[in-house]
Amino acid sequence: MGDKEALFAEVEEATPALRRYARALCVTAGAIAADDLVQSAIDNAALGIRERRLREGGAARLCAYQALTAAAREELAGSESPKLSARHPAIVQGLASLPFEERAAILLVALEGFSYDVAAEIAATRREALVARLMRARAALSMLDLRPPAPSDGQRRAGSHLRLVK
Amino acid sequence: MGTSPAIDEADLHALVDNEISGEERRRVEDHLASCPEDAGLVDGWRRQNAALRAAFEPVAQERPPLSLRNAAQRNASTGAPPIESGAIHWGRPSSSTRTLRRFEEAPGGRSTQAIASTLGALLVGAAIAGAAVFVITRPDAAPPAPEPSYVERADLAYRTYASDPKPVEFEAAQKDELLSALRLRLGFARAPDLSTLDLKLLGARVAPGLRGPAGVLIYERGDSSARVALYYEKAELAGFPRVAPRVDQALTAIEWRAAGYDFVLIGPLGPESMQQAAERAAAEMLTVTPAQ
Repeated sequence: MGDKEALFAEVEEATPALRRYARALCVTAGAIAADDLVQSAIDNAALGIRERRLREGGAARLCAYQALTAAAREELAGSESPKLSARHPAIVQGLASLPFEERAAILLVALEGFSYDVAAEIAATRREALVARLMRARAALSMLDLRPPAPSDGQRRAGSHLRLVK
Repeated sequence: MGTSPAIDEADLHALVDNEISGEERRRVEDHLASCPEDAGLVDGWRRQNAALRAAFEPVAQERPPLSLRNAAQRNASTGAPPIESGAIHWGRPSSSTRTLRRFEEAPGGRSTQAIASTLGALLVGAAIAGAAVFVITRPDAAPPAPEPSYVERADLAYRTYASDPKPVEFEAAQKDELLSALRLRLGFARAPDLSTLDLKLLGARVAPGLRGPAGVLIYERGDSSARVALYYEKAELAGFPRVAPRVDQALTAIEWRAAGYDFVLIGPLGPESMQQAAERAAAEMLTVTPAQ
């Protein structure tokens, strides 16, 4: 019983991170769709705990990430790449333009901090495939200009409405 | 790629992702010191990581919506929750929880209260009309469009009706009439039984909603110390407002979506009591689906 409760607590503790991952993974689908997927992932993990399929520490969290990724893949199949409005940061727009599997790979590693092995397990693929997706995602996002604006750029923009009159 | 044939792109990614350590890590770092091109790649990927975290970390810092709190443990015993998506506690409980006046203790005050309520409503109406005229006739009128919110409507309905001695059009005793009136106007009617939470249904009324008619069910505590309203309206707005709606500081509001309707439970009870009532109401509301 104690183990079960520890696993439930593990899912509870992971919920904020699951929401972060879902929001980024479903960046084109919106917050409500993302939270729906988190809900279904939590349900899935809870079922695993109830049925005693999940016993070891870390298993429930991993199961929730796996379920979330699989549900998002299914949910977003065929409805990829609607354009986000320009008010979103460049990184978010770039993320939205990535194929699903590449987006999942970079998010699991770069945002959620999973090792390549665990990320591959969550994405239900081999480690080599995951690394290849990660490399493609980074190459695509490298086209974006993510440099912080140089002070001189800011001054130029701020002063652009002024003109020399004398 | 860089000058050293021993270092490939995968090694650079492994460095960024902390997949290598010790001697291997030092080898890649030494390579970067002598290869500005690869060092630039690594810097770029690190900037990507930082930009991703900056964009999405705020989501992890938010308080998860009601339906996702304790969800695993709750679902373990009760199955999937009735709240379909993103229930949100909009409430801002203050230290001084306001309670409604005990009506049976102040029978002589009812007419005074009614008059005060009417005058209050007239003053609020006049103020709103005055503000509207001012905004419309202002020459450079470009008011920022406020984000519409069902919660603010529910708050208004609560403040308008809940303290009234006769807050409902249809008494709970006329349940059939009550349900058919709500069904006729909203396409869906259900009066959840919250009596196990010491909330007795007083009745219901139809009120102006945000985009159409809204149903307002009023409940009262057994000791008549507080009333709670369950507001619902067809959800025609996508998503929840990004900015927390303006709600009376002493009230707690819980909003959720289910079956195409937006539901708001609002009242002066504590957050835990309101949460229990919202869960119960959500479960009962969907015992019969709106399609039926």
